[in-house]
Amino acid sequence: MEKGLTVRRIVIAGVLGAIAILLGVTRLGYIPVPTAAGNATILHIPAVIGGIMEGWGVGMIIGLIFGVSSFLNATVPLFKDPLVAILPRLFIGVTAYFTYVGLKNVNQYVAIGVAGFVGSMTNTLLVLGMAVIRGYMAAGVAATVAITSGLPEAIVSVIVTLAVVAAWKKLGSSGKQKSKISGDF
Amino acid sequence: MSAEFELTRNITIGQYLPTGSIVHRLDPRFKLAAFVVLILAIAICNTYVGNVFAIVMCVWLFQVSKIPIHYGISGIKPAIPFIIVLAILQLLFYGGIANGGAVYFEYGFVKITSESIRLVLVSAMRFVEVIFLSSVLTLSTSTTELTHGMERLLGPLQKVKFPVHAFALIITIAIRFVPTFAMEMEKMMKAQASRGADFGTGEWWRIVQRTKDMFPIIIPLFNVALARAEDLILAMEARCYIPGAARTRFAHYTATGKDYVAVGLSVVISVIMLAIPW
Repeated sequence: MEKGLTVRRIVIAGVLGAIAILLGVTRLGYIPVPTAAGNATILHIPAVIGGIMEGWGVGMIIGLIFGVSSFLNATVPLFKDPLVAILPRLFIGVTAYFTYVGLKNVNQYVAIGVAGFVGSMTNTLLVLGMAVIRGYMAAGVAATVAITSGLPEAIVSVIVTLAVVAAWKKLGSSGKQKSKISGDF
Repeated sequence: MSAEFELTRNITIGQYLPTGSIVHRLDPRFKLAAFVVLILAIAICNTYVGNVFAIVMCVWLFQVSKIPIHYGISGIKPAIPFIIVLAILQLLFYGGIANGGAVYFEYGFVKITSESIRLVLVSAMRFVEVIFLSSVLTLSTSTTELTHGMERLLGPLQKVKFPVHAFALIITIAIRFVPTFAMEMEKMMKAQASRGADFGTGEWWRIVQRTKDMFPIIIPLFNVALARAEDLILAMEARCYIPGAARTRFAHYTATGKDYVAVGLSVVISVIMLAIPW
């Protein structure tokens, strides 16, 4: 894999970042769940997909865009704290990428699915962990939220990640690199 | 029903209110720095008087930048139910954790202390302050100015090989594509609805149903976005764009006295906020 930010990585990070912002501002990225957190979110999925497709650096940048946009759009006081809204989100794409790389030799589909799950759980656990540390939630409340909205989030994340990444990588077919010239550089 | 599909109308990103005030005319680099200092101070400050002082300062900022305060208040309104629910939960369950202070009420695991009341009130005030501050910042600065300002502020990071220019470009692409994707999404929703799909009409407790409703939108959205990304990559490579190459810039900023005063003022306000002992 090439080092640094290529044109491809810059553009993919930007475009997936745009989706993260869009899902947030249109509220389509939220699935209403009756818990203290209010919503299960699918906003972290672009970060997971970016991480799997283009490496941990891209995943981290999309996570940052997601974090900042959730910080600016927050309606829950919890996410008006940059330490809760931004910091944990940086790691979503990173864990997803390493999970994918670790498992990709076993089976592509399994690797993508598990990476989707791990990325989503990273978001849930780190955000709630930070919320407990910063004193917005009691540990018991956080554990309930993790189960009631974290698990559905993770399942949705697995489905969407699999559908998008598998289609993009054209698993099963001869799977050539999509870009016409990037590969030559 | 048709309102469900009008996504582009609700997007306030890049919402900019050109009143031409002194806050609008500040150098974006200095403006960003000043806001970062203030937000950090708000995140740390946990005294009553300090936070009241911060709210007064935010209201004053609205006045100086000639932005009607209802823009800030409209950001708070949707959050009021959350604030109340969270406040009640914190009040009931926090006594055990937020130690210290006088105990006002104790029954079983419910314990209300002066510290837990402080926690509830301060976090509510903090929320109002941050909404006000971010509204002033985004309403008085265009997105182009914001990205330029950010790029220049991060400039020193280039020394440690952080790709500042590429990063600013990513942010610009992201902001640029939000309305485009909103339009794409609108098209897809209409296409699916004309085939008889329902969006968001299921009862809120039918979580599985509502989640399933989303898939025919979300998955094609990603595919459309990635296809557009391929086109953009091709276009940029065809124009010989090389990440990290030295290039000149169109927008030049020169700091003047008022920019230094603004940053200085934000530091002074932050220090006062943190120094107030109650």
